[in-house]
Parts: sequence; structure tokens; C-alpha cells
Amino acid sequence: MKKKVKRAFRAVILPLLAGLLPFTSCGGGDEQVARQGKVDLEGLDPSGQEVVFWYQHTREREDELLRMIEDFNRTNPHGISVRGEYAGKYNDIYNKMIVGLQGGTLPHLVVAYQNQARAYYQEEGIVDLNPFMVSPNWGLDSQSRADFFQPFLKQDNIDGVQTGLPPNRSMEVLYYNIDWLQELGFDSPPATWDQFAEMCRKAKEQPFSKSPDQSRSLGFLLEIDASRLASMVFSRGGDLVDADEREYTLDTPQLRAALGGMMELMEEKAVGIVSEDYGDQKEFSVGQVLFALRSSSGLPFFKSAIEEDGVGFRWSVTHLPSGPAGPVVNVYGASISVCMTAPEGQLAAWLFLKWFTDPAQQARWVRASNYFPVRKSTARELVEYFAENPQYKAAYDLLDYGKSEPAVAGYQQVRRLIQDSMVDIFDGGDVDQVLERLGTAANRSLVEQ
Amino acid sequence: MATRRGGGRSWLIYGGLGLWATVSSFPFVWMLLSSFMTRGETLRRVFVPEKVQWANYVQAWKEADFGLYFENSVLIAAMQVGGTLLFSLLAAYPLARMEFRGRNAVFACILATLMIPESVTMVPNFLTVTWLHRSSPFAWLNSWPALTVPFLANAFSIFLLRQFLRGLPGELWDAARIDGAGHLRFLFGILLPLCRAPLLTVGMFTFIGSWNALAWPLLVTNTPDWRPISVGLQQFVSEAGAEVHLQMAGAVIATVPVLLIYFLIQKEFTEGISMSGLKG
Repeated sequence: MKKKVKRAFRAVILPLLAGLLPFTSCGGGDEQVARQGKVDLEGLDPSGQEVVFWYQHTREREDELLRMIEDFNRTNPHGISVRGEYAGKYNDIYNKMIVGLQGGTLPHLVVAYQNQARAYYQEEGIVDLNPFMVSPNWGLDSQSRADFFQPFLKQDNIDGVQTGLPPNRSMEVLYYNIDWLQELGFDSPPATWDQFAEMCRKAKEQPFSKSPDQSRSLGFLLEIDASRLASMVFSRGGDLVDADEREYTLDTPQLRAALGGMMELMEEKAVGIVSEDYGDQKEFSVGQVLFALRSSSGLPFFKSAIEEDGVGFRWSVTHLPSGPAGPVVNVYGASISVCMTAPEGQLAAWLFLKWFTDPAQQARWVRASNYFPVRKSTARELVEYFAENPQYKAAYDLLDYGKSEPAVAGYQQVRRLIQDSMVDIFDGGDVDQVLERLGTAANRSLVEQ
Repeated sequence: MATRRGGGRSWLIYGGLGLWATVSSFPFVWMLLSSFMTRGETLRRVFVPEKVQWANYVQAWKEADFGLYFENSVLIAAMQVGGTLLFSLLAAYPLARMEFRGRNAVFACILATLMIPESVTMVPNFLTVTWLHRSSPFAWLNSWPALTVPFLANAFSIFLLRQFLRGLPGELWDAARIDGAGHLRFLFGILLPLCRAPLLTVGMFTFIGSWNALAWPLLVTNTPDWRPISVGLQQFVSEAGAEVHLQMAGAVIATVPVLLIYFLIQKEFTEGISMSGLKG
């Protein structure tokens, strides 16, 4: 029997493995790839380059993005032609990049979260943008560089390497129902977590007058999501990593307080858990939930859900209740990275990126996407937009309080671990054990990167 | 008395099955009803729409360019089903009906691939396709070869067909040989008509797999030219808000072909499953 197995192994498996060998070493791509630093940027000619841009936008946002790309292609003096390609959601793009790195099929520009960009950079899939930014011929002048919201730029700067340039940002904001709050006897959103808890308890006891289902009334619906937890931890003055981002800090008093506060309110049935996609947005829009914690990019969805399809009420957004150090909001957003392709291709990609972050283009992109611009001077072009969208303006004014989630490679996996731990804890698991397990697993993932 | 007891048991069984059928079909019914609602109705979580919104289908069809995606999905599925049937049958036949050294080892190796999850094979498959794209005179990436060729045979189909072919009487081959038939003529002239049920079963499984595929098509395509309907459906999953009515209308559009095919071949499908020993 053993002999038979060995013979089968020699006859079938070995030739198969031998046949696969050529494929395992076929990276490299169609284009000549060059490491940053060895290229004389100033002497490059980007004329006639074709740039492929992978993004995640669909429908209205994609339509506007493609129109902007068309305008760039028509007006840029170098004859650069950008081709925008929908490459799936963020995770799909990450998968596409990871296999593209193996197979040498990278685009020139790719949308990437900071932790994803870090992983690409470690695999030599993207380039450092610092040389492009300061290039005398092709870069941004000092005034333009200073015009960027510096915390946004810093989000993409990992150990001195600029892994991407932010095209836009969003933040986690607390949506609240003004009319219902007034019915409950409050004239402003919660300033502290104690006030938040009190409002939630009252909302449970006193449903909103316009709610079609008076039997369901909640203060808040929490989504099991790492960003939601991060927002609550930030607002209490905590963080998910230490100052150097060398270690996860997932058993802090702030994190325990965030989880504990929610557990208490859940036990009192004043807070529930989101059980379907955008369930909190839906229930908020029909007045069954007093607060919702969501990305500011959802503002137009909330607006149309409340004002066109929901029960209609006055609403706004604010930061989460703050700790002793004042308000902190979780600011996030994917950036755009330039991939490791031929130097001329990299330069052409950079030139599009530079154009896209120009205030005039930023204002156009804001109007289409409802994201926040990354250049301060864009605000001058958004005066009318601010007036038409007061909730957007309210959120925009919170940008100064921004803080971001960890930009470490492997954070995507840790997010999943955090979410699993949230489920375990809200399901009655032992908090000490769950947090210890979470911390160990998260820090192990840091070592493995 | 015995009849009455038997009748009562039947009612109990049918009642239980009816309840089970109701619970099982609830998600589908919910999808269908939601697809006819206004957005407001989905927000208020009503169960039955006040007025049927056919416009959701029109909007979903137009916004996600379902026309193109639908056509692509049909073409991709047709190629995959045709190829899988042909190559799986050609692989299953020798494993079931021919004696040769190492037959069981080869079969074991094929079966072993069933244990490997799709996510593990994705990278080697992609590398292979990329290499072929560069080496071939025609395009593989962004075109039908990358979407179909890696899936033209699979272990499950080979296993299913082999099990069926093994169960056919050996006298058929003896009679065919007396009439001068070779293996291919025997396979395609005599066995093929007998394999209707398992072939339809394999075809159905392949069709469903192809129709629902999302990760692989996104990997190997960059433009809508050859992207399937699952990509169109994904476009309704926004990163910022819910549009359940449109999502559900899109889901119904994407589900109807699978249901239609299943209803058409339901009898053979059940027969094919039971004959291959997979039941229970």
C-alpha cells in the first residue's frame, strides 16, 4: 500500500509541483518596475502615459469621478490618459492588490486604507510619495502642502514614508433627533456619557410622538464594528494602540468603560444591537431610535431617509460625548496610493492625484460625494454648499477634533478580532478573559507583520 | 381506527413539512415583497407593500447596467456548464469504467482537492491565468478564458459522475465491444443518454456556482465588459446607506434564472443526487 502511495506521489504530485514552479516566479508585471529613489524624477517625461486607477465608488459617486477623470484627460498638458476602474469594495481591492503583487498586475493608482497601504508598501507594491510632493518640477509648493489638513496627511505617513495622499475624509458622528430630544426635555445633545445614558433611558420610556411603532423605542443601536468601538474609546480619551503604534492597548479603562456603559444600557433595554445592515439608520429615520453613530458620508442617506421616506423631524450631528480632554472624533478614509510601476507611469499617476486634490476639484468632489475635503482652502468654494447642508457644516466643524484608528499592517484582521470580542462580551462572556484573549491575539498579529 | 390514526399522522407530517416550507421560503418571500416596496416602506419595516412598485425593477436594471451583466453571466455560465460536463465526464469515465494502474491514487488525488478551500487556490489560479495571459496570443484577463477555463472541471462533478457510471451494468460495455464500439463511442453513444439525471445535476451545480461567483470575476476583470451579474448586484451595497428596495429588486432579477432552471430540471436534479449516493 505504502509503495502504491509513493508511486502515485511520484507519478502525479511531483510533475504537478514541477509544472507550477514557473508560475511561482513570474511576478514583475508588464512594465519596467523601478524602486523609488533611484529615479531622476525631474528628468522624467510623463507625456502620453496611460494610468489605471482602481477605486471602490459606485453609482452617483462613480459617475462624477469618471466625469472628473474625463476632464483631466481632456485638459492636462501632458496627454496623460487616466482610466478609472471599479475594482470592488475595499476588501475586494485589497485581495486584488495582494494577488496582483504576486502576478505583477498592479494598477497605477489604488484606493487603500492606511493599514492596507502599509501592507502594500512592505511588499514593495506602492511608492513613497515624499519625493513627488517636494519635486521642484512636479510637486506641490510649500503653500499647497500647508493647505492640507495636516492630521490627514499624517495618517498616511508611516515611519516617514508617505504611503498615499488623502482625496477625502469622513468621520464618525452622532446623529440625533432634535424634536424627540425636546419632547424628552433636553435642548442639546449629550455632552457627557452620563447624559447620553440618561437620554437613552428616557427615550426607552417615552417613544417619539411621530414614531409609527410606539412599542419600539430605543436610545441607541450599537453596530458591532471596530470603528464604532474606537470612536467611543477615543471620545473617552483612550486609544487602541500605544503612542508608537508598537502595541495594541485593548484593555484600557476607557475601553472597559465604553463596553461597560453599553452593556448596562443593553441590560436596561435602552440600547440594542444593530441586527441588519444599516438597521440603526433605518430605525433612526422613522423615529424609533434617538441616536445613531455612523460615518458622516452617510449624511445624504440620512437626509433622504428622514426627510423624504421617513417620518420627518429636525435632526443634526455632533461629536460623541467627550471626556475630560474635550471632544475627539474618529476621522477616517481611504487614501490613494501610487503603485510600483514604470517611473513615467508613477509620475503620471502622481500628476492626476495632485490635480484631484486641488481645491477646485476637491469642491467638486465634495458636492458629489459628501465627503470632507482635505485642503483647507476648499471651504471658500463651499459656502453655498454649507448653507444648503447644515448637518454637513456641523460635521465639518468637528474636523479639528479628529483622531484616526491605527495605521498598522494587519489592523484589518484585528478589526475582526475586536468585533468577535464585542459579540462575546455582549453575549455574556467574561470581560477579563475576552479582553485578555483579544490583546494577546492582536499583539501576536503585530509581531507577525 | 387504524386509518384514522394513519390519517392523523399524515396531517402531522404534512403540517410539520408545511411549517418547515413556510419558514424556509420566508427569506425569499421577504425579498420579493421588499422589492416591490417604496424606500419608506422598507424603513418602516412593513411586510406587504401598499402599492406594487414595478419602478424599482426598472431603476435597478438601469442603474446597475444589469442588461450587460446579465448577458455576461449567461455566456459565462453556458461556457462553464458545457465545459464542466464535457471534461468531468471524460475524467469520470476512465475512473469508473477502465482498469489502469494508479486509478485509485488518481481518484484520491482528485478527491483530495475537495478539501482545499477556494481562497487557497485563488492565488495559484490567478498566477496561472496571468502567465497564460502573457504567453498566449489572445487575452485571458478581462475576458472569458479567465472566467471559465479554471472552472471547466472540478472534483465534485467528477466524483458525482464516476459514482453514477460505476453503477451501470458491465454488460453494456461487453455488448458495445461486440458491436465494435471503442471507449469514446461507448461513452457518447450509449452511456451519455443514460446519464441525463447526473449530468443535469452537475450542470445545475455548475450553473449556480458560476452565477453566484463574485471574488474571482472581480480579480480577473477590470472593466464591465465581461463582469457577471453578481458585480452589478454588489453596486447596491453602498458604503454609507441602505437602499433595500433596490437591492432586493436586483436580487430578484439575479435569482430568477436559477429558480427557473431548477424548476425545469427539478425531477432529474433530485434523481441525480439520490443516484450518486449523496442523499441524506
